[in-house]
Amino acid sequence: MNRNTMSYKVKQFIMFAGPATVLFCAVVIVPFVYGIYLTFTSWDGIAKTKPLVGLANYASAFSDGEYWRALGRTAIYSLFAVILINIVAFLLAYLVTSGVKGQNFFRAGFFIPNLIGGIVLGYVWKFVFNRAFVAVAGAFSKGTVPSPLSTPGGAMFCLILVAVWQYAGYMMLIYVAGFMSVSDALKEAAMIDGCTPAQAMWNVTIPLMRASFVQCIFLSITRCFVVYDVNLSLTNGEPYGSSVMAAMHVYKQAFTYKNYGLGQAEALILFVICAVVGITQVYIGKKGEVAA
Amino acid sequence: MKKNMKKLAVLALTAVMSAGLLAGCGGSGSSGSEGSGSSSGDKTAITVFNSKMEIQGQLEEMAEKYSEEKGVDVEVYYSNDTVAAHLATRYSSNEPYTLSMVDAKDVYALAEEHALDLTGEDWVSNTTQAISVNDKVYGFPVCIEARGIIYNADAIEKATGEAFDPTAIKTTEDLKALVDKMIAGGMATPVGVMKEDWSLAGHFLSEVYEQHDDPDAFIAGVKDGSIDLAKDEKFNAMMDTFDVLKENNYAKDAAISAEREVTEQKLAEGEIGLMFGGNWDWAVISAYDYTENMGMMPVPNDSSDGSNEKMVGGGSKYFFIDNSDKTTPEQQQAAKDFLNWLVNDEEGQSFLVNECALVPAYSNINLEVADPLGKSVKAYSDADKLIANYNYLPDDHYSICGASMQKYLAGDIDRAGLAAEIAKYWSTAEVGAH
Repeated sequence: MNRNTMSYKVKQFIMFAGPATVLFCAVVIVPFVYGIYLTFTSWDGIAKTKPLVGLANYASAFSDGEYWRALGRTAIYSLFAVILINIVAFLLAYLVTSGVKGQNFFRAGFFIPNLIGGIVLGYVWKFVFNRAFVAVAGAFSKGTVPSPLSTPGGAMFCLILVAVWQYAGYMMLIYVAGFMSVSDALKEAAMIDGCTPAQAMWNVTIPLMRASFVQCIFLSITRCFVVYDVNLSLTNGEPYGSSVMAAMHVYKQAFTYKNYGLGQAEALILFVICAVVGITQVYIGKKGEVAA
Repeated sequence: MKKNMKKLAVLALTAVMSAGLLAGCGGSGSSGSEGSGSSSGDKTAITVFNSKMEIQGQLEEMAEKYSEEKGVDVEVYYSNDTVAAHLATRYSSNEPYTLSMVDAKDVYALAEEHALDLTGEDWVSNTTQAISVNDKVYGFPVCIEARGIIYNADAIEKATGEAFDPTAIKTTEDLKALVDKMIAGGMATPVGVMKEDWSLAGHFLSEVYEQHDDPDAFIAGVKDGSIDLAKDEKFNAMMDTFDVLKENNYAKDAAISAEREVTEQKLAEGEIGLMFGGNWDWAVISAYDYTENMGMMPVPNDSSDGSNEKMVGGGSKYFFIDNSDKTTPEQQQAAKDFLNWLVNDEEGQSFLVNECALVPAYSNINLEVADPLGKSVKAYSDADKLIANYNYLPDDHYSICGASMQKYLAGDIDRAGLAAEIAKYWSTAEVGAH
């Protein structure tokens, strides 16, 4: 059979990737394009007519102060969360590849938080902050200690802490793969050449793991930027709207305030920001990648 | 042999994975067609959307019985999503419910496009709470709900050592005296304050508007700046009372992280004696070790027009019938029959009042309300001592003004700051069409 004809290739594609492609189009591409169309309407989400309003929604999105404050908050949250997630994940990965006793058990243990859904996790931590923390801190300080969730700074801190707890285990797996991919021979060679273990780590292992860093940072940035579930169950935007992240604001705008078109436009702006940040980071990261 | 095993394993895996792909597809397909409102066989089938979580169990049981007795299949659905958001998805997928239970504001938003005109129905003359738009009745009130201060009389009497008469507490001063007595009697913090934005802004703050004779004019005045909210008598009267509640809140140090369930549990079990809320709170209170000796009273405040002797409330949750061609005339008739059954049939009445413990909105239903809070509300409703709900607040009112109220509750802003934030909100907000 001639395997170089167009029809053969098309058939092969349909056979292997056809169903997935169809589904991907149906649940991602089509809604995305339809969503872009909705940004040009003043639809309230339920009316029969969807009046076209041109770019009015984008104008309102740019002048929606609450939205930009939510975005700014999300950027700060993401900055801290991404840095901490990756530091913690890297250290955990180092720990569980260094040959400690029971390292497979630790790997599984650190990974488990990632298997708990965001909503459940939010409620669990809410309990920890509101009850357990208050009870323990109260016992030590002999007074009532307010829950950290009751102040704007505290709520932000809690969100970041939970994000680190949730994602560090997942990122750890990627770093573990990175560590394993660096051959011992290279490290040994460096040591023979007079490197201390720290120097070998810094000059040999880390540069060779660059791909892991690029991937982890990309994943954590994109996840942090669109955080919603933990935000909803842990703080629900409180106290007084000071922990409303961008995605939650978009949801409220579209469904609670019934400005579907505006919410959709704001979601699209969030998407573009996410994409730009993510792609820039991957581009810069990939440029300096070295192959062993 | 070994090679064959491997091949087999690969094949099996592939089969499982492709089945997974198809399952994703099949799942959405079948969920799309469930309850599409088509009649099965010769039986008419109607779908009912319930947005009152606490009566879902009762509704499902009733639906089963109703289907057997009346020969109409009733299928009850529930979603904990925002009502409008959930209906929006049903309408955009072209699968409306025959009957939808929604909030008053949703009726105003949806009625003209989606609801069936119910003006000619029997029950209309038996209620004062039906919703009409342009002189056509669209909304069937499910029950009456009202807001006020919920008290635990056992807890109060235990602390004060004397009999408690809720009607004697009218002014802020009365409330303050009661609270002081309770503190003297050993209850250090006798009050619970819910921090939820719907409670603070949707229920408490909105009483400020509703207590005015003409809420529309008042809001318009705040909007154009001709009324200075900070100097408004009602606003200050209500906020004075709020200050008393706030000062004696059991969770004063961390008011914003107080959890509703904990607050209501404390109230039910008598650790605190007073909380602002409504008769819907019974669904939460009754989950704990409660006392029957509870009730509701109007929010005490220093007003001279008698509004401190009335609760604020009225119809709550409305049924409307879909008017689209997705709902057949038979289904519409079955839905109408169902509504009539609720109001006029003894079983229907008993279902509303006894099974669901709702306060009926119909003058021809004389059954006694089961729960203590509902009893108080029924008494005020029967005595015509309810100030009507203002159902036209914008959708973002409770979350934006709620945030301001939370700041005030946490002590982040003072009353002038609160008034300024609310006035600022109104400078750009628009009340709903009505």
